[in-house]
Amino acid sequence: MSEFYISLQLAWHVVVRNWMVYRKDFLANISPTLADPALMMTALGLGLSPFIGQIEGLSYAQYLAPGMVATTALFTAFFECSYGFYVRMTFESVFKAMLTTPIGVREVVIGEFLWVFIRAALMAAGVGLVLAVMGLLANIWSIFIFPFIGGLLAVPCGAIGLLAAAHVRNINQFQSVYSFLIAPIYFLSGVFFPLTDRPILGVLVHLSPFYHGVRLLQMTAWGRGSFGEAAFHVTAIFLFTVVLGLWAFKKIRQKLTI
Amino acid sequence: MPGPSRDIPQSAYHAGDPTIRARGVSKRFGEFVAIEKLDLDVRAGECVGLLGPNGAGKSTFIGCLYGVVERSGGELKVFGHDPAIEPRRIKQRLGVVPQENALDEELTVLENMRIYARFEGLPKQAALSRIEELLIHMSLDHKRDATIRTLSGGMKRRLTFVRALLSDPELLILDEPTTGLDPTVRHLLWEKVLSFRQAGKTTLVTTHYMHEAELLCDRIVILNRGSVVGAGAPRELIAREAPGYVGIFAQDREKVLRTHMRAGWDLFYQGRQCCIRAPQIEDLMSLQRASGNQALQIRPCNLEDVYLKLTGRELDDNE
Repeated sequence: MSEFYISLQLAWHVVVRNWMVYRKDFLANISPTLADPALMMTALGLGLSPFIGQIEGLSYAQYLAPGMVATTALFTAFFECSYGFYVRMTFESVFKAMLTTPIGVREVVIGEFLWVFIRAALMAAGVGLVLAVMGLLANIWSIFIFPFIGGLLAVPCGAIGLLAAAHVRNINQFQSVYSFLIAPIYFLSGVFFPLTDRPILGVLVHLSPFYHGVRLLQMTAWGRGSFGEAAFHVTAIFLFTVVLGLWAFKKIRQKLTI
Repeated sequence: MPGPSRDIPQSAYHAGDPTIRARGVSKRFGEFVAIEKLDLDVRAGECVGLLGPNGAGKSTFIGCLYGVVERSGGELKVFGHDPAIEPRRIKQRLGVVPQENALDEELTVLENMRIYARFEGLPKQAALSRIEELLIHMSLDHKRDATIRTLSGGMKRRLTFVRALLSDPELLILDEPTTGLDPTVRHLLWEKVLSFRQAGKTTLVTTHYMHEAELLCDRIVILNRGSVVGAGAPRELIAREAPGYVGIFAQDREKVLRTHMRAGWDLFYQGRQCCIRAPQIEDLMSLQRASGNQALQIRPCNLEDVYLKLTGRELDDNE
């Protein structure tokens, strides 16, 4: 068996371990990632829609819909890899035992990425289904593409979470990471309002992987956009994945080994 | 900081070679030296005890053995492999009982063990029968479906032993295996460790309990500030470093006792008690008569005396 295959198999065991722990508290774990987009759709989408005119030829609810898929991917990945990983590392000492087995730091990190990919993909599928039932998807086939984009978007977002987990000195400091990094990314990346008339913000948002995921999901849900633009955003997400992923691996290795 | 050399040719590992072979192993954290040029061999089938004060470098050295601590220098081979280069080849043949149990509290006993059996690469059916066998061996089979949260400290520790033994490892590393446990559990675990030794497993154990070290280990290595300050079989160490008997007297008797001491005796304090070590039990008897002071207790020297002497906690009168 090749080294790569063994490594991947061990990383998969980490995913299985996370799943076994996750399912013990399934309802508590799944609530925020489902309830938040549902509430957002109800309050802003259904509540505000009648007061807002058309945006780019769409009702506000239709405009908002794909952003909810992106949101669930962002929050699933960030919280799992920040708070979740930090608790496993610090309070539960999970890795102190895990690293005595054939599993190494590389498999731990790849396992985390696989885990958030799968979780975000499933959540994206779930949110997509709800949006389809609410009749908010112009392109109904998009529900089959959402899981892929959601999963891909989750990996760089998870890497941001791991970097936060490696840098904070205590669990309270995640509040700052959320307030000054994740919340701005979430609120300002074109989920809630179009960026077409905002030259500065429109450029700045390119610096986070989230915006590229939002655009891909919007293009898919609305059934419009060019191949060139899609290729650009996919490439951007891949680049963010590679850069943030390797950086996170380096930092986590420093935390787990001395 | 120079890292461990990566271009040492991989020498073949022969039967009869030491399972662990450390030569000049060092670990520095910036200015702080955690391990200083440590030499240590652990032969196959041997049980070696690592003793030393907190911060002496015991856990750091153990971390070096399976690659979670990157050594700063020296040569280290476990089963003939360098842990800095091929940690997985080592970890496949290793079982570790870490200081912290690190069990998943919300999962059951069986679930915890099944996860680790997967990590160790055991096929499902083989894993189930192996887990069952070990749970019975550790008297935990009735707790198969209990959540870890509901187990006592002793049960959790026994389960951590089960976890370490899942892959039937050739080398066992026990990092303070019985700290904080009641005497019953401690005796049970000692009996298990002795049975591993009988089965030919190699064991490296750290402990703060001298009695435990004396009971379990063929050989003791005492570390202080990252260096080996004494090594040998327990009896041998005692005979070399602190031979004879100790008389324990009340603290205010130092002056009068001192006037009757002879060359080669030691006077030191353990806690608030004034202790005199002499080669023969008769020496202490005559000391009692000559000084007119009855000892509170007279006992043979033990490993704790050696430990306290070598780690510099003893106020040695002859220096």
